[in-house]
Amino acid sequence: MTALRLLVWHRLRRDRVQIPAWIGSFAALIVLAVVGLQDSFGSVAERTALISLAAANPAILFLRGAPQGTDVDAVLVFTLFSFLGILVGLMNTFLAVRHSRAEEDSGRAALIAATPAARWTPALSTLVYGLGVNLVLFVAVSGCFAVAGLDAAGSVVAGLALAATGVTFLAVGLVASELMPSARAANSVGVGVVLISYLLRGLGDAFGTVSDDGVRVDSAWPAWLSPIGWANRTRPFTENALAPLLVSLAVAAVLLGVAALLLARRDAGASVVAVGIGRPAARRSLAGPVGLAWRLQWPSIVAWAAGGAVFGIFGGALAPALDDGTLGGSVISDELTRLTGGADLAEAFTTVIFSLVGILAAAGGIQAIIRLRQEEAGETGALMLATPLSRLGWLGSYLIVGAVAVLAVVTAGALASVVAAFVVGVRENSAHAVLAAAVQVPAALLFLGAAALAWALVPRFTAGIAWGGLGLAMFLGIFGPLVGLPDWAVDLSPFRHSPEPQGTDTDWSAGIVMVMLALVTGAAASVFFRRRDLAGG
Amino acid sequence: MSGAMSTVISTHDLRKNYGSVRALDGLDLEVSGGEIHGFLGPNGAGKSTTIKILLGLARATSGSVTVYDRDPWTDAVPLHTRMAYVPAGVPLWPTLTGGEAIDLLCRLRGIRNPQAYAARRAHLIDAFSFDPSRKGHTYSTGNRQKVALIAALAVPAGLYLLDEPTSGLDPVMEVVFRRELTEAVAAGSTVLLSSHILSEVEKLCDRVSIIRAGRIVETGTLADLRHLTRTDVAFALEGLDESDLRSLPRSSDLVLDGTRAHFTADSDELVDVLPALAALRVRGLTITPPSLEELFLSHYGDEKPTATPRTRREARLGKASQ
Repeated sequence: MTALRLLVWHRLRRDRVQIPAWIGSFAALIVLAVVGLQDSFGSVAERTALISLAAANPAILFLRGAPQGTDVDAVLVFTLFSFLGILVGLMNTFLAVRHSRAEEDSGRAALIAATPAARWTPALSTLVYGLGVNLVLFVAVSGCFAVAGLDAAGSVVAGLALAATGVTFLAVGLVASELMPSARAANSVGVGVVLISYLLRGLGDAFGTVSDDGVRVDSAWPAWLSPIGWANRTRPFTENALAPLLVSLAVAAVLLGVAALLLARRDAGASVVAVGIGRPAARRSLAGPVGLAWRLQWPSIVAWAAGGAVFGIFGGALAPALDDGTLGGSVISDELTRLTGGADLAEAFTTVIFSLVGILAAAGGIQAIIRLRQEEAGETGALMLATPLSRLGWLGSYLIVGAVAVLAVVTAGALASVVAAFVVGVRENSAHAVLAAAVQVPAALLFLGAAALAWALVPRFTAGIAWGGLGLAMFLGIFGPLVGLPDWAVDLSPFRHSPEPQGTDTDWSAGIVMVMLALVTGAAASVFFRRRDLAGG
Repeated sequence: MSGAMSTVISTHDLRKNYGSVRALDGLDLEVSGGEIHGFLGPNGAGKSTTIKILLGLARATSGSVTVYDRDPWTDAVPLHTRMAYVPAGVPLWPTLTGGEAIDLLCRLRGIRNPQAYAARRAHLIDAFSFDPSRKGHTYSTGNRQKVALIAALAVPAGLYLLDEPTSGLDPVMEVVFRRELTEAVAAGSTVLLSSHILSEVEKLCDRVSIIRAGRIVETGTLADLRHLTRTDVAFALEGLDESDLRSLPRSSDLVLDGTRAHFTADSDELVDVLPALAALRVRGLTITPPSLEELFLSHYGDEKPTATPRTRREARLGKASQ
């Protein structure tokens, strides 16, 4: 018992920042959503407009969930619950892997296993600790809903539903840790299961049956294959059904049994899936810095592009609905008009969606520079630069791959939007969608160049400056006008200077300036990098 | 490549500061063409910093440095076509296999003859018993080391910069490494081999430079350096008179430990002692030449806390106390 207590305490101590940050952000999301909802959709009429629009559009149902009426609490669950499900899932699979496979991967687990704590105690303490975290999650979520003035029973059900989802994903993480040979691989499996759960729930909701009054949707069967679907199926505040949670807990119990069986049968450090075997010799394409940069980054570029495509689908499928009068005079249309200066509604909506794609594209570009910094800190950069590879060639390869990432995200968004519009049967908006995507490129490239410059000047602060800068630009450019910041502050954001997509009348001058600035910052990065030492980790 | 005795590496009064920490403090290093030069010193003496400067990865704070008569900072790219580098504690890309990493690095260095490269690569992989199909993150320290060694030896170079190249290798692999390196160097290449393992340096190197706190404190051939220390002489005490021993010429530090007598003599003057020992008809005579180890310890064994801070923490604490 002493060993168990010590190890649980050790886990608690290691996560003393991380877990409070996760749970704190869940609480903040709930509070913000409650405030935002009462602010923008205070009246039943506004909420009915919102929910009717959503229920009529499979793309929204896919992204958000199945609405259960127009009461404030039901709308809140509709807008928030699936998203919270993803976050709770990620928190739990990461937690499980961090304290099991990652420990074995690093060799630290062998230190513990050599003490009298032995085989079962570390796994058991991870489980006990994980259950404890989900208990805290339950209290925090229920508390936040209740404090926001929502029905107490519904608040408890909402908290229980998310905590049960958390326990299921905790078990998923523990099984993944038994299966996979490395923490990286186990985390990939964990994230994959969470995303598939979201996808299955999305498919179930998208193909669900809409009620006669048009404000309720009954999910189709795929939602029943997903832990996030089970949490949504409790329908907090409207039905408060606890039975779906029995499914969550039963699945969690089975998974824990599987993990225990695997743990009992394997050597310390071993895994069910054998250690990754790869090519004994490199392909022809892995011959230079660009080949390596691409090889290291294509999975994350695909992920960013998939994100761009999701927004594109959303925009392409939804924009036509704005034209057919469903929303005429509603809060959403007012909001859009305010954001875009009163252009054609569908086009305005497309512009807003693609400004979000632009942020994803900038993030994809920044990621290339973050990778460059990781290569430098991990000293593999020194291996590369000890060969006849110039510093410009090394930096340039990451700038090229970063630019490819920017273009990939924007192109995926535009293509997905056009295809989605085609499927919905409305094609008039497609040209505008492509243009709205294209105008995002200059600002995203500027972020790439600026991140490279930050890396060249202060390599150890690359990630902080780049992500912080992107966050600030998002805040100033998108929320700045809404909270009434002065123009000069809002204009600091490159996103504000992206050309307005207006057909052939589009004024590209600001975009051209930003592309030139991107080139200048990239060139300056090369000059400054040439003048400094390589900075290890 | 010019004559064997040309200078390949030359540094003069080389200094490198990291903030207030002096990593190099007036380093003078000369390495001639065709030699295997041992670069000997304890952890933190400045070996890796020197190699990083020779590669142009770090810039000297002051002093001069040339490699093949060029400045490694400004001419890094043309110089690197003639150089191979093995870092200390080899980093690898977690998702690339060992074989892919070897191919990538060799392609960057420039493969002139693909058939010769393929044959050489296969030979080295076999010699080092290396499995090239595993992912980078699964290799042990020794296997990561092999990746860098194979990548360095698979494409011929004029100058090899090896930073503690055998750390993590087992004794069998150390022998393989010595054999392969000697073979590679027979073609006239130059090697700078940094190490704190004395036996390795003794077995491989023609000349040695010893670095301490960022400065070269001794340099020369192993024979030169041996002259700097004293030879240990010992024999059986049985049947000998202590007064005879006290009067032995050129001897000092006489110790009688019951059964044996020990003394030391200057390595150059050893021959003068031998007739006296012969006259005493000593039995069980052993004469032990000084090992590099003693030389090493004579430079580091008495290491007193220096005024120069060796870590950033020390530098801060030093500043705070002033």
